Amino acid sequence: MSVISTQIRNFKEPTREQLNYVFFSMPPPPPPKLGEEELEKMEINAVLSLGVAEGNAEDAYAGKLHLLPPYLAFTSLDRKSVRFTLPLSTIRRVERLNARAGVYALSLATWHGMKIIVQLTSLRPTADLFCSLLRNALKDQLQRGQMKNVKGFVKTCYSELLIASTSSSPENEREDGSLLDDKDGVPSEVAYHGGLGLRFKFPGDPRKLREASKIKLWTTYLRNHGRNLTLLRYPQCTRLVQVGLPNRLRGEMWETLSGSMYLRYANPGMYENLLEEIKGKTSQSFEDIEKDLHRSLPEYAGYQAEEGISALRRVLQAYSLKNPDVGYCQAMNILAAAILIFMSEEQAFWLLEVLCDRLLPGYYSPTMHGTLLDQRVFESVVAKTLPILHDHFMSVDVQLSVASLPWFLSLYINSMPMVFAFRIVDCFFCMGPKVLFQVGLAILKINGEKLLQIQDDGGFLNLMRDYFTTLGDSAHPNSTDPRAKAITNFQELLLVAFREFALITDETILAERRRFRNEIVNSLESFAKRSAVRNLHTMGRFTKNQSGLIYDALYKAICEAPPPPELATVAPPPTLLTTTDAPLDRMETRVGMRTFQVFLSEVATWARDEKIVLNGFQQRIDREIPEHELIHRLFFFWDTSCSGSLTLQDIVSGLDGVMFNDLMENIEWYFNLHDKNKDGYLTRDEVLTLSESFLFIFRHEVGDAYLGAVSRFMTNAFEYGDALLPQEENPETGEMQPKQLESNQPYLNLATFRMVVLADEILESFFEADLSGSFRLEPVPDLELPTTSGNFLGDLWQNIATADNKRIFHKFSDELGKTIGKHQIAYRPAIGRYKSLEEPKARESLLSPSQMHPQRMESPAQSVGDSAASASSVGNTSTSTLVGSSAPSQATGGSSSLTVDASAAGHAGDGSPTSAALSSAASALPAPHERAVNAARTLLERTPFAIDDVGDDDESDLDLLHGEDDDQVMDEVDAFLEENDQGLTDADKELAKDLIHAEPVK
Amino acid sequence: MADAASGSVDRSVQVKLVLLGEAAVGKSSVVLRFVSNEFQPNKEPTIGAAFLTQKCRLEDRVLRYEIWDTAGQERFHSLAPMYYRNAQAAVVVYDVTKGSSLEKAKSWVKELQRQANPNIVIALAGNKVDLVQSSSSSGNTSTSESEDEADDATATPGETPGSPNGEPESLRQVSREEAHAYATEAGLLFFETSAKTGEGIVEIFTEIAKKIPIEHILASTRGGAGRPGAQGAREGVGRQGGDVNLDENQPKGRDACNC
Repeated sequence: MSVISTQIRNFKEPTREQLNYVFFSMPPPPPPKLGEEELEKMEINAVLSLGVAEGNAEDAYAGKLHLLPPYLAFTSLDRKSVRFTLPLSTIRRVERLNARAGVYALSLATWHGMKIIVQLTSLRPTADLFCSLLRNALKDQLQRGQMKNVKGFVKTCYSELLIASTSSSPENEREDGSLLDDKDGVPSEVAYHGGLGLRFKFPGDPRKLREASKIKLWTTYLRNHGRNLTLLRYPQCTRLVQVGLPNRLRGEMWETLSGSMYLRYANPGMYENLLEEIKGKTSQSFEDIEKDLHRSLPEYAGYQAEEGISALRRVLQAYSLKNPDVGYCQAMNILAAAILIFMSEEQAFWLLEVLCDRLLPGYYSPTMHGTLLDQRVFESVVAKTLPILHDHFMSVDVQLSVASLPWFLSLYINSMPMVFAFRIVDCFFCMGPKVLFQVGLAILKINGEKLLQIQDDGGFLNLMRDYFTTLGDSAHPNSTDPRAKAITNFQELLLVAFREFALITDETILAERRRFRNEIVNSLESFAKRSAVRNLHTMGRFTKNQSGLIYDALYKAICEAPPPPELATVAPPPTLLTTTDAPLDRMETRVGMRTFQVFLSEVATWARDEKIVLNGFQQRIDREIPEHELIHRLFFFWDTSCSGSLTLQDIVSGLDGVMFNDLMENIEWYFNLHDKNKDGYLTRDEVLTLSESFLFIFRHEVGDAYLGAVSRFMTNAFEYGDALLPQEENPETGEMQPKQLESNQPYLNLATFRMVVLADEILESFFEADLSGSFRLEPVPDLELPTTSGNFLGDLWQNIATADNKRIFHKFSDELGKTIGKHQIAYRPAIGRYKSLEEPKARESLLSPSQMHPQRMESPAQSVGDSAASASSVGNTSTSTLVGSSAPSQATGGSSSLTVDASAAGHAGDGSPTSAALSSAASALPAPHERAVNAARTLLERTPFAIDDVGDDDESDLDLLHGEDDDQVMDEVDAFLEENDQGLTDADKELAKDLIHAEPVK
Repeated sequence: MADAASGSVDRSVQVKLVLLGEAAVGKSSVVLRFVSNEFQPNKEPTIGAAFLTQKCRLEDRVLRYEIWDTAGQERFHSLAPMYYRNAQAAVVVYDVTKGSSLEKAKSWVKELQRQANPNIVIALAGNKVDLVQSSSSSGNTSTSESEDEADDATATPGETPGSPNGEPESLRQVSREEAHAYATEAGLLFFETSAKTGEGIVEIFTEIAKKIPIEHILASTRGGAGRPGAQGAREGVGRQGGDVNLDENQPKGRDACNC
């Protein structure tokens, strides 16, 4: 019942280039298409001047000119006074100016004839290069036909109308911005995009808002400094925004300032296409949207009419369709409703895109991590700038975000009266997200005295609510100075925000976000974990803590091997649905085989290959995930809904089915696991598969006890199995003999299986405790999170410490270890019950007791990774097996006691030797079985037993003993042994224990 | 009520109450009915949480409810601990016409019982019973108020005003018996309510008032500096060990280091 998402973990800090795109409000560049040459980017020092218009020339500003095709952008050195972002397609002419010698200046003419002069102040060759790149980029735009699109696009902008009808425009409008003459007004209105305000009036009193004079000021500014796509932002522009945008121009200016206009310009028709796609679709987001349509700014006339409601519906649906991973979040309805008053649907759609994606990243995502992060950041900047207030909040246990969360989430729109909120939104689009913080701090500062009196969250909220209702009142009602008296609370608020909190910059916020991101990710993850565990239908016999460990292991597996997206969050299969409506919280994460393998390797000792590597520099454990039919079998065994995927619940129940079992239950569990058709009988094939599963589980065990046990098991299983078959008369001899069965017919039932297992002490002990014990819930070491430290060194370390680099480092140290002869590898056993070789014969070997242990026996030339060595080891093993079977009781002598054939020898006393057993089993079976058994035998011999890795042949062992170079190794071994020097068996036990508990060296 | 409260300030007990439940079950409407006895169309959606207060008289005592009405959308879930921390009471609301909403309610109850104040009093409220009452008058009411219903934040989605009022019981997806059995088992107060008709609303709050350990809260008030709600809860947290509101405490601790 829970969605496990690793999305927030995958956050990457933006690169410098990405930050540039953000700064210039450009859409991020699309991934380069195949076969298309990417246009080069470049930046150059430049001085911008603009001097033609009506005598009031702007100052020249030094800064950087960026060529980021298809845009040309400029920012002054302080990154705030002057800036522009020009689509290259708006540039009609570029001329090199004939000026004084040594001055390299370009004149850029826009489509409407504005001339921008940039003096390139870098060295001449650099300037030449820049010019040629600019030429290429412009040519590219021309070839794409972008130049032609400009004129059509700007017709949709109100500013063009303002400029064109220069003096006449304000006259055909009423003060409130609606058109005076409908008959004449309509045709011109079709041309440009506008919002609901044109029909339903804009909020606020236009006379009070001084709409007319604002329009006049803007008309002048836009005529001289470009507009819509070509707007140059000089300090005056920011000042004009701060006194409030005129309603008619507001929508377009939001678009221009936020950069959403570039998206609309670059993606003509996309909104219409999305609307087509929506038709007939339904989704959880659509349902949620429907619930909120009638409560989005309901006091505004436009949303009491179907026109407004359906526009709002279309915009929100289109957004959720285009961004399915965000979908719809409450508060987006308020934003969309607000911007639709000033913008057309298409404009609003793109602005919403910029808002949710770039300006407020992660605010509206399903985890809302962006919101939580910025609340944390806000708390931190409050602590820094208003420490007394912060201390008071701490002392009375008031949480800042109970009030501030809605401020940020809805851009103050549902906290303040709309007219004031829109002015904050003006500044927000112009100056960026820092405005939200600055205004929030100013609110707290202005109310500081009263806030120090509050005692709880409720008092805090009430105080804020009261303050917002007085924003229009005079800030100094008792002042005798009429000018001071005229200043409203809202004006004072903006003044404080931008004067006193100017120190809160975009950089501050980025740095603070970096600082707290991990904290937020951790708390969200632990919250998700608690919910997931709490929502388990049943935890079986696990405690909450243990279920948490299972969750951790699964979470780690999902991080390492993310389930394919179509599996990630699908609704449960229809058969499990009790109700027809399956909202988002019914969705749950399902994992596929690959993730399951990683998960199982976390919790089951036999589902992982752990190589203990010593190379003289470090000891570490390399973990690999083996591929075996048993793992697949388990996956489908636990997949009770037969959906080809597992949920957390499936896994918990599955583990519950094995981890608490006693002997009999374990035997039954293991039997059922291999009884594919669940008819209570194993077929002959299944008996073989079952034996292979044994061998897989025991593959790294020290000694040969298990090997013998499995071979005895097979002999017995087939003997008993045959004996229990219905007898039939042999037509030729007349003797009674077991009926011949196809290999896929029911053959062995649970009772027989149990009997065979219990006949063997080793298997009995395996089922008694070791099987359940091989599943271990251990705390998963903390996963690496995205970079915490923002400083240079931290980044550097982050770059060094990636998983890939670690691997390279390991490889390097291994190579080094090999050359100096200290590279050793051993496999960690999955069960580890037999910690030493107990065969008496083995002790008689030439090796001293201290050399008995595999991982210390690894000679430099014999690394397991060395394929040649292991191949020869296999060859050696199989030949000696043949020898061993003919002379079972004869010790093969020397170190060969450590190889498989010797193990057969060791067991000669209590029955038939391994290979003999196998061959007898094989001979008793029809041909296909023989092949299978042979295959099993090969597998058995190929199994990389720890001991296989050790002994290659006598010679090399002798080399090891006597070679001069190896003295060092032996010294080290001795030194190591001294630490555990308690005689042979104790030392071995200790070592085995050490190995089992060994942690990978970091 | 206001007079009584001001007359016996010392007797007024502050109780923090939180409303939880799936989106569109009528949480805000329940509060609105209780606080101002009205059923208001076109309320703005709850972003984070809304905060309201209402006094409630119980015998000789006055309880001052501080009500936190939370957002129902699933993605606001991770914010909920911020609102239910220190709460002495919770009303978990589901919609009797929507089976899945009871499941969500159960999961809220589980969460509250594990994460919230250990002494929290929880009430389960099955809202919108007016939609399933068989009397023809209620059927007529729903039809005539369909405008309100559609505008109401909590209207059942997809339900058209003309939906079959002839057989209102068919709308019911959660039987009273089932929910009641669950509530008994989980130790909750149980009510079926209608914010629209007002049925059962006041009862929830008076029953909660009876069950709240008022003496306990008062005792802690005397100990604390006039901060009844948070003080009491905080003591509770302290006594009950670190299991409660761990996550709230952690960041606070770090804050302390930061500044």
